[in-house]
Amino acid sequence: MFGRKSGAGAVKSAEALRLVNVTKSYGMSENAVKALDDVSLSLASGSFTAVMGPSGSGKSTLLQCAAGLDRADEGMVLVDGERMSGATEAQLTRFRRDRIGFIFQQYNLLPTLDVVQNTTLPLKLAGRRIDRARAERILGQVGLGDRLHHRPDTLSGGQRQRIAVARALVTDPSVIFADEPTGALDTRSARDVLSLLQETVRFHGATVVMVTHDPVAASYADSVIFLADGKLAGQMTAPTADAVAERLAHLGDPDHDTTPHHTDHHGVPEYANPYESGYRSDESSTNDYRFDDYSVLRMGA
Amino acid sequence: MLQLAFRSVKERPGRFAATLLSAFLGAGIVMMFNSLHDTAAQAGIDAQSEEILSTTGGVVGSYGTLLVFFAVASTLTVNVRQRGDEIHLLRCSGATPAQIKRMIMGEAAFVAVIATTLAVLPAMLAGRLLVSSFKDSNQVADNVDYAFGSIALSTGTSITLLSSVGAAWLAVRRATSDPTTTAAKDAARARWRTIGGITALVLGAGAAATTLAIDETEPALMAPAAYAAVMTSIGFAVFSPHLLRALLAIYGRPIQLLAGVAGYLTVHNMRRRADQLAGVLMPMILFTGVAIATLYMQLIASDALDAGGVQKTADDKNLESLNLVIVGIIVAFACIMLINTLYAATSYRNREFGGQRLAGATPRQVQIMVAVESLVLTATGVTFGTLAGLVGILPYNIVRTDTIWPEQGPATWITVTALAATVTFLTSLGTTRRSLQTPAVDTVTAAA
Repeated sequence: MFGRKSGAGAVKSAEALRLVNVTKSYGMSENAVKALDDVSLSLASGSFTAVMGPSGSGKSTLLQCAAGLDRADEGMVLVDGERMSGATEAQLTRFRRDRIGFIFQQYNLLPTLDVVQNTTLPLKLAGRRIDRARAERILGQVGLGDRLHHRPDTLSGGQRQRIAVARALVTDPSVIFADEPTGALDTRSARDVLSLLQETVRFHGATVVMVTHDPVAASYADSVIFLADGKLAGQMTAPTADAVAERLAHLGDPDHDTTPHHTDHHGVPEYANPYESGYRSDESSTNDYRFDDYSVLRMGA
Repeated sequence: MLQLAFRSVKERPGRFAATLLSAFLGAGIVMMFNSLHDTAAQAGIDAQSEEILSTTGGVVGSYGTLLVFFAVASTLTVNVRQRGDEIHLLRCSGATPAQIKRMIMGEAAFVAVIATTLAVLPAMLAGRLLVSSFKDSNQVADNVDYAFGSIALSTGTSITLLSSVGAAWLAVRRATSDPTTTAAKDAARARWRTIGGITALVLGAGAAATTLAIDETEPALMAPAAYAAVMTSIGFAVFSPHLLRALLAIYGRPIQLLAGVAGYLTVHNMRRRADQLAGVLMPMILFTGVAIATLYMQLIASDALDAGGVQKTADDKNLESLNLVIVGIIVAFACIMLINTLYAATSYRNREFGGQRLAGATPRQVQIMVAVESLVLTATGVTFGTLAGLVGILPYNIVRTDTIWPEQGPATWITVTALAATVTFLTSLGTTRRSLQTPAVDTVTAAA
């Protein structure tokens, strides 16, 4: 329905994204903060993964490094089996626009272009052929078939985010990264957008990585990866909002050995993850956590 | 709120640099030329000295002052308009539109007063230099003392204050307008703008007609002609969004064909942002119009003397070059205002550029887009600036030489156009280049 040229993932490798020992620090040598500390993971093609963690856990950095918006200090990123490379921003941009789709919290649409123009812009910028009929079909599928020539500022937040979803789909990317895609939406629009993301994965074989701090949003994913202090702090398959919130609440606890989580889900992607067998608290990442997102989490649930 | 105004200037002085610079230069130029009136008004001054001083003060002072008023106002409008986020924040914290208005206007007044104060000494020195140049070319008697008095101070202060506070008022009114009545207000504002633009064009035409009615030997002949060029420039600038849209309707397709996706973005951008771009077009049209008008009139005046067979004395030649220097000061001021406005307008676009980059534009594509935009802006600005300049030049030439078209070649026009183009491209592309060094993600999330 979303017009992938071939069957889901058939022309793509089975592994949509792989991070190998990715490390990223901010700041000068002495007070440098390690935003990502030796993170390795692998996401299968056709998976829907949520990345969660408290503020400052490095989840946004993870997304930015994985998506080529930022450069990792060490380690490497492979998208669809190809190593992300590029000495200049122009090279990185070219790598990105062929393989990666984006959905941002603030939509990031160009106010001077209408819905169709915004959707086809990545193709135009890449100098690719513009299949207008296909773009309009995708817009119809995200529920904007009757808004093709509206400008973004005349539409609601939910509608704008659906333009962003259509724009991410139009290039047929290997991975779609969504950074708090429901952060600016009301509950109802948020649900619509999350279902839409789910559909793109379930029925059309897209691969979605979503950073969020909302356990409800995370529960739409096939699995959740937890981050704390820039390190992977466990995963959960077939998540529910309550289980995710519970896990988040105890992410920094020193004596927290196990959290009930579901492993009965079939066909879930595998993670090259040091905590694969379940969550074990890292002694070094103890109580110094600030759960300033916590109230928001519970309210969302 | 006034206290907040002082604080915000004190804590973030960098943001006021552009505003301060325009007000400072404007106040300096106005006071420099108006101090000639103060000097002429002294007791015991001989008639010839008095005449040359008050003529220069009157001619350059009049259109110079007018130019300063609009140039400062347009620069400040661009600056205040960029504070939308801050104004929004204040509204969210419970500030009433009246309070915000007081704050922004208070700030503008504060900056204007500081700028005028700072400009007094440089204006005095420049005015003294001007008077001694007049003395050197024997136009003014050696015993005349330079004076800097109430005329210079009052015009300098009032013009700077009026243009700054007026621009702040206009810009803040837009920013704080109640969203529910925006449509009706927009219509009313558009009507006022149309009335203002037509008034400026009518005044320009009137000044051109006045020029025709004045005797060719009248030394102040250049004043109404220059005034005509300034007023017509303002009129065109007011209608520039319409003019820009009309031009884009014709040239939109060729631009897209020639410049590809960058042209496509430019055309769509400029069509929607035509109203904001008027802020940049204003100083550009003013610069081209005033530069062409004053430089050509000076050349016409010199050549008319030559043609009259009058043997020029060394003093005449000195006066000629002095006049060119005076005109040069005005042109340089208009040029700096153009740079200032372009810089302010482009540095504000970080977020827009970031959005384009995240949508897949390479830095180069963004640069090409800005270059195409600069090209369209320069073409529009130079076209209408030239027309405005001609409104001043043609009547002046008719009176001085009895021919319609001036015989001075296109060299000066080419120079002015090249200068406008160079300044526009260097400033826009340089500022864009700096903006592109910030990671795209930061530019989009920072303001969110």
